[in-house]
Amino acid sequence: MYPLKKITKEDTWRSDDLKVHIQGHHEESRRRDRSKREGEHKKHRDGESLDRRHRDPDRDAKREREKQRESTKEGSKHRDPDRDRNQDSKGEEVREDRYKEKSREREKAVDNSSHRDGDKGSEEKRREMENSKRRRNREKDRYNDGDIGMYKQRDRDIEGDRKKDGERERKIEMDRRKEERREDLDHSRTEERVRDKERERRERHRARESDYSQHENKEKQREGDSKAHSGHKEREHRIDRENREKRRRDKGSHEADTSHSREVERERRHQERKEPKDYLHDIKDGDKERMKARERKEQDRRRERRYKEDSDSKRNDRKRTEKHKESSGHKHSDRINRDKEESTAIPQLTWRSIQAQMSDPEIPVENDEEDKQSGKDYHNDDYEEDFENYEEDFEDEDEEEDDKDEVEHDNRGREEKRELSPRRREEIEAIQRAIDEENERISSARSQRTTTESAFPYRENHSDGGRTHGKIIDFVSAKHREISQKVAKKQKQRSEELLRLIDLDFSITFSLLDLPPVNEYDMYIKNFGTTNTKQAYVQCNEDNVDRDIQTEEVEMMDKWTQHPPETKAACGGPKVSQETTDESMARMTTDSQRLTAFLRSAKQVMAVLIEENMAESNSLRRLRSQTDALSFSDGCLQLNTKLPFLHGRQVSLLQFSHIQRQTLLSVHPPSSKTSAVPLNSETVICVWNIWEPSRPQKILLYESEVMCCCFSPGKVTLVFAGTSVGSVVVWDLREHSGTHCNLVVGKEDWTLRYPTFSTDAVLSGVGHLSPVVSIEPVLSTGETGSNSILTADIEESLGLSFQLGSLDENGVLTLWVVVELPKGNDSGSQTDLGLRPGGKVKLLHSSSLQTTEKSLQHIIGCGPPLSLQLKFLPSDSNHYFVGTNMGLVRHGTRHSLKVLPKFYRSQFDSCKPVEVTTLDFSPSGEPFFLVGCSDGTVRLHSVLRETPLMEWSGCSICTPILSVQWSQTRPAVFCVLDAASDLHIWDLTEKDYMPVITENIHNDRVTAMAVFGEPAKQNTFSGVALAKQSGKVEIQYFKKSLTVSKASDKEKLQSVLQDTF
Amino acid sequence: MARSEAAANTYLIRPNYKHKFKAGVAKECIREILRDQLSGVQYNPEEVPTLSRSLADSIKNKLKYVGFDRYKLIVQVVIGEQRGEGVKMAARCFWDADTDSYAQDIYMNDSLFCVAAAFGVYYY
Repeated sequence: MYPLKKITKEDTWRSDDLKVHIQGHHEESRRRDRSKREGEHKKHRDGESLDRRHRDPDRDAKREREKQRESTKEGSKHRDPDRDRNQDSKGEEVREDRYKEKSREREKAVDNSSHRDGDKGSEEKRREMENSKRRRNREKDRYNDGDIGMYKQRDRDIEGDRKKDGERERKIEMDRRKEERREDLDHSRTEERVRDKERERRERHRARESDYSQHENKEKQREGDSKAHSGHKEREHRIDRENREKRRRDKGSHEADTSHSREVERERRHQERKEPKDYLHDIKDGDKERMKARERKEQDRRRERRYKEDSDSKRNDRKRTEKHKESSGHKHSDRINRDKEESTAIPQLTWRSIQAQMSDPEIPVENDEEDKQSGKDYHNDDYEEDFENYEEDFEDEDEEEDDKDEVEHDNRGREEKRELSPRRREEIEAIQRAIDEENERISSARSQRTTTESAFPYRENHSDGGRTHGKIIDFVSAKHREISQKVAKKQKQRSEELLRLIDLDFSITFSLLDLPPVNEYDMYIKNFGTTNTKQAYVQCNEDNVDRDIQTEEVEMMDKWTQHPPETKAACGGPKVSQETTDESMARMTTDSQRLTAFLRSAKQVMAVLIEENMAESNSLRRLRSQTDALSFSDGCLQLNTKLPFLHGRQVSLLQFSHIQRQTLLSVHPPSSKTSAVPLNSETVICVWNIWEPSRPQKILLYESEVMCCCFSPGKVTLVFAGTSVGSVVVWDLREHSGTHCNLVVGKEDWTLRYPTFSTDAVLSGVGHLSPVVSIEPVLSTGETGSNSILTADIEESLGLSFQLGSLDENGVLTLWVVVELPKGNDSGSQTDLGLRPGGKVKLLHSSSLQTTEKSLQHIIGCGPPLSLQLKFLPSDSNHYFVGTNMGLVRHGTRHSLKVLPKFYRSQFDSCKPVEVTTLDFSPSGEPFFLVGCSDGTVRLHSVLRETPLMEWSGCSICTPILSVQWSQTRPAVFCVLDAASDLHIWDLTEKDYMPVITENIHNDRVTAMAVFGEPAKQNTFSGVALAKQSGKVEIQYFKKSLTVSKASDKEKLQSVLQDTF
Repeated sequence: MARSEAAANTYLIRPNYKHKFKAGVAKECIREILRDQLSGVQYNPEEVPTLSRSLADSIKNKLKYVGFDRYKLIVQVVIGEQRGEGVKMAARCFWDADTDSYAQDIYMNDSLFCVAAAFGVYYY
């Protein structure tokens, strides 16, 4: 019971203080109003006192409620005083400094008012200031609503409270208890205290109310208000302080014993608190008596009421209270008297006088303690509630501290109990010292904290606010918060630093689970479908898989390659496959081509060798026999003309090539006899190699009669022929045998070649209109017989571009250009109609010129003049020589230049109808040519002279000369064949009047003759090919004497030349 | 303070390759645990909350020993009853894709399905 009582007593004490404060404030506010109408002071004050008296019980009632609430919050209330005390005692100077700062501004404004008000005003102000601390917060809040609002509220409270008189019981009880405790004290003091407490209580009530209303408001508003009203507050503060300072000064003189500064402070505050009462007395002066009386009355009344109402529970207490009342009444009177006495003193010194009265130092100290505590309690209460929201965080720690506070509270309670005994004073002081030390510790801790907190403005403000109001914030929680904040800050910094380095991004949405809903059927099957069933077998076609591959198999093959290719194989592979066979086939084809090329060249050689062997064995015997027959012959061989298609044909013409001198053309005109072979109507031309006599190399066919033929000037590749129908035809001997028709006769296979090109298709105006009697290749200018081989090679390499001259009977000399096409057309040419399909050689018409003179035609008048023979001058192919039927040889140039002599004629007869059957230039390069005539005369002409150098007619009289030919090896030797089949061999070095040898071959008449020979080589050979009437072709080699040239040959010719000149 | 910051400022922006969160490894761990603890288990709504919690714990503990250094591991286990309803679960993360990854595995039997996902978030 006792500790409870203690607490309640504490509360009651506080309430008393509150009353005092409230009264002070009330008066102050009233006074403010009063200042406007100063004359009515007293009335108002009376009313006010009434008000107060009325209010008191209400306050009590109200307090009851609050006490209940307080019981929950007691801790905080109790705790705060300690804190305040700490702050007050130690931090008093700090606060004062603060006050000073604030006051400095205030002073100017407020000083005037204080002066103006004069003594009374100053007193009033002082009172105001004394209350100011307590009021500060209250005022703040109240200013929101204005004083009137506050009053209204108060009135309302009063009215409400009056009805709840029952609740006052407890308060009264408390009062009684307090009084009991204070029995030792002076009655006056007690009464004072009671009154103080009452006032305080009242004040606290008001403050709470205002606090409640304010809590409903926003805290910020309060802060703003505090600023707004700071001016007012500050003014009060300043004045308060001035007074305090004055008092202190005075104290310094009067009170040496209270030298302890803290005590002074405390005392001062105590005085301040007491002052209102004193002032009240002072100010009221006259009214004092009345007021006191009224107060007393009121108290009495209250007590009476209390007695009535309390009758149930606390009779004992009541009795005590009654006693008290009596004693208090005594005290009151004493007090009043004292007050009266004091009232005469200077108001400023009033408090001093009171203090002086309180000579016993215990009491002021005690009062200080109590007052301060209560005051602070009030303050802190106020603040506590203000900051309730703020400090909710700390409540945990608060609760912890509550225990401590309670202990302290107990101590305090004990102090209060003991306060009266002077012995305890030392203890109290010791406790105070301990508290001071504690304060020091805390303040130092706080100073540390403030430094650390400097980083957090919000926190600082908070703590500042707490400090300015003398409040202490729980440090443990602050520390915690600070630490956590520090950590948070660190984390934040860390995150800032890291976020610079890191890119955070939203990941794609990971699908953790996607479970499709099961449809009803599946569910059914799952649950019920398989009930009572058992899977026995499964039949499926699993192993019957059909597999398709769309891609093709990749073929792999090893290959090799090399460069340059060896034996026509540039690449190949080890694996035998189709390709290799293809390749081998290709190689075979290439080989066959090579083989044919090889065989073509080798076959001739081999054939020649074989032929020679055969001929040697055969001809030796035969030549033996024949050498007897022919005196000039060194040996003889016969060309195998016993071919089926040559059967029965005579040889009309024999022609050797000038370059390849072993090559012989034999022209077989169609015979009248029928043969087994169907080639009767066609002329057959055989190309022979005399060293290969067994068969002709090529067989050429032409439909009509061939009048003349010749080889190409170079290699024996082309054969030209002039025909009786006036056309010039060309055979290309290089053409493949496959392109020509084959004739199989017996076992042998013969290739029969038709002309490659024929001028038959050429327009008639260009071609010959009469039979071509002679055809001669035009050798290039300056070409000589000796170097013709070389030029021939060149020409051949140049594509056989040479000219061909052809002469018809009418004396028209046509020059053809032989053109070789680069590529043959197997399908035939549409423009060159004369060209055989696949043929490469053709003749282009170059020019035509008339060789016969028209005047001569009519001179003789014995038939048309005929041209019979054409020769070009070997040294200058521009000059042509044409043998005519008039025994003349015409001489002209291709460019129609006049040359001398115009013609060559016989020595004896200038012009007679004698045909020039043959014409032959000396192969040695000498400008001689032989002319054979149909009257049997042979003339040797020089190119320069019209008349012949020599003319022989004796040996073959009236027998036409068939052929006259110079020997190829001996310039002074020539052969003459006449129609009587007599062969005359002339050697001019031996005899120039008659032939050296004359052979009559009568058993088989010789129809044609051709002389061959190789002059340049050392092992020269020469001979004559004789075509017999039977169709045989005999090749007779001349004896050495006729073959090997002598120095006398040229000398003879030179002499002949000179003889003629 | 500044010194302590300088000392503390030893961030490893990228994990060692050896210590990188490997989804495959983590998935194997999860699979193992799920198979061990859930095989033959029937869905029981009373037991499932504790079961899922214990699964998450065991997965987390197992992953801790795999050696994902400096990784904060978050394991989520969801167990639901298989009644034929469609279920769709997805996760989306705001993180550094270079370092952070996740592994996930599903266990299902006739009466329940269990989805376990482990997210490894690198602590720089």
